[in-house]
Amino acid sequence: MTRVEVVGVSAGYGKKQALFDVTLPELRSGEILGLLGPNASGKSTLMRCLAREKRAKGRILLNDREQLSIPQTEWHEQVGSMPQAPPAPSALLPTELMWSTARALALDLSDAELAAKIEQVFSRLGLDAVALSPLHTLSGGKRQLVGLALAMIREPSLLLLDEPTAALDLHWRMAVLEMVRKEISGRGGIVVAALHDLDLAARYCDHIAMLDHGRIVVAGSPEEVLTADTLAKVYRVEAQIRKDSDDCLAIDILRPI
Amino acid sequence: MRRCDVTDIGVSLQDRFNRIKSRRQIILALLTLATLASLAMDLQAGPASLGLSDVFAGIIDPASLDLRQRIILWEVRLPDALIALSVGAALGLAGVEVQTILDNPLASPFTLGVSSAAVLGASVAIVLSPSITFLPEAAILPALALVFALGSGLFILAVVRFGGGARETVVLFGIALVFLCNALTAALHYVADADAIQQIVFWTIGNLTRAGWAEVWVVTACFLVILPFSLRHVWVLTLLRGGEAHALSLGINVSRLRTWVILRSSLLTAFAVCFVGAIGFIGLVGPHIARLLLGEDHRFLVPGAALCGALILSLASFLSKALISGVIIPVGILTAVVGVPVLLGLLFRQRRMP
Ligand SMILES: Nc1ncnc2c1ncn2[C@@H]1O[C@H](COP(=O)(O)OP(=O)(O)O)[C@@H](O)[C@H]1O
Ligand SMILES: [Mg+2]
Repeated sequence: MTRVEVVGVSAGYGKKQALFDVTLPELRSGEILGLLGPNASGKSTLMRCLAREKRAKGRILLNDREQLSIPQTEWHEQVGSMPQAPPAPSALLPTELMWSTARALALDLSDAELAAKIEQVFSRLGLDAVALSPLHTLSGGKRQLVGLALAMIREPSLLLLDEPTAALDLHWRMAVLEMVRKEISGRGGIVVAALHDLDLAARYCDHIAMLDHGRIVVAGSPEEVLTADTLAKVYRVEAQIRKDSDDCLAIDILRPI
Repeated sequence: MRRCDVTDIGVSLQDRFNRIKSRRQIILALLTLATLASLAMDLQAGPASLGLSDVFAGIIDPASLDLRQRIILWEVRLPDALIALSVGAALGLAGVEVQTILDNPLASPFTLGVSSAAVLGASVAIVLSPSITFLPEAAILPALALVFALGSGLFILAVVRFGGGARETVVLFGIALVFLCNALTAALHYVADADAIQQIVFWTIGNLTRAGWAEVWVVTACFLVILPFSLRHVWVLTLLRGGEAHALSLGINVSRLRTWVILRSSLLTAFAVCFVGAIGFIGLVGPHIARLLLGEDHRFLVPGAALCGALILSLASFLSKALISGVIIPVGILTAVVGVPVLLGLLFRQRRMP
């Protein structure tokens, strides 16, 4: 069982406060939380706080333990985090990046196990063909998938994804979330993903939290959060919400207001 | 970098990765052999006739040579050849780490201002040496060059520590420091007499022939003490090539890493240049050649850059004696002459590949 609790989190950069008293729905094994909000609403900042990359006021608990009280190695065995920026386009090979990451984290895997693990993660993400091509020869979408592979290398029970689908094509946008749902949620893990795409959030998330100017506007099930009123207030668009054929919410954005 | 061949389909990733690894191990071995060959050539070159067989015999059994030959081999040739290796290795190692942590292919220990500060220190020593009496004459110059170089290293460290440690800030302050030191050196030129100016220029070009055994041991010891610390960081340096955001998401303290690397590189550079002068370029070109040959995996790149640095400076040292018989050209002039064609050749070879 995995549990994540986020209560009253505030954080900022120097004097500028970026998050104000953010409380998220309590998350349990197998659940996916989508973080929505316009640009600069604080999604990445909140993701960095959850990933322990940034100090925050408030309580962030993983399995009832204060996040900062968990030893480094244990933390990195349980938590995988994918930053918004994809891996830099250097001459490094994706396999080398995976390998050095696993070794720097001191993951307890033999060379053969690690190689098998990397091969498995790459094949799930369609990266086999570019596993040994320098990162600068990869497209932006492929590099973003490498970024996801890096977060997946340790079979995390908490996976944090900052806009994982931003650079992906139609197939991979859904395939990535299907894969995450199968491999992480299906095994009892928790996923928190900052998303740009409302339809994806409606389809894959159990909970959605809507951020605006560093504050939670509304949080709850997709039906509760994705309403024409909220979208008008937060995104300043006129939208129509309907159920599509497989009983998912479908959001038609009509015009800006 | 070679793409996978058609025959690679069906071969496991581990096998393909291992193949790359063995290729890199072979390249490292070849670099080592080339460096040893260059050392041998360097040892037998020089105005006095002392062939390769005499050199080997004299190293194994000094008594086999007559007194004059023994002095030439043990007091001139060996220290000169070995200081080339150790200075080259030190600058190559310093360069590769600085390039990686600043994510800047143009960065080198020299763009941090360490060597310009050493030149300034040496100039001060040359101008003031008649009035300094508490140090032996020969020690003043390297001592002041070292003090100035270490001082500039401390300054950059302070910038990293208290300036937030952003890459651009470090590069910018380094370049500002280069200009400041150059301006102060120019001011010294202005007041110095012609004789002193000539000495300063000669020192600035870089020259291996001043070095004796003490210098060889100091630079070698510095390199050998620092190398294990660099090797301990190879995984983190490698993953840093995947971008700072990735490193931060793993909880790696990137600005602390930067502080350590700049400390290491400043020490290596300070000790290397204070004895032989501002032999630039090695710290830039050595790492680049190593990157082209070995890729970005720092397990291979870190030792490879040190080997490339040693090889280039050793070749330059050989050429400085062999190019015009009876004349020793200052080696600083030749490092670029040797390094640039090698670098260009590798770049073009890589460009032609599919
Ligand atoms: N490194 C930073 N330094 C200063 N301010 C920042 C930094 N990162 C983000 N901010 C500010 O914090 C706010 C939230 O940004 P962010 O979390 O990146 O939003 P989002 O990911 O939702 O687009 C913005 O106002 C942004 O300008
Ligand atoms: Mg963001």
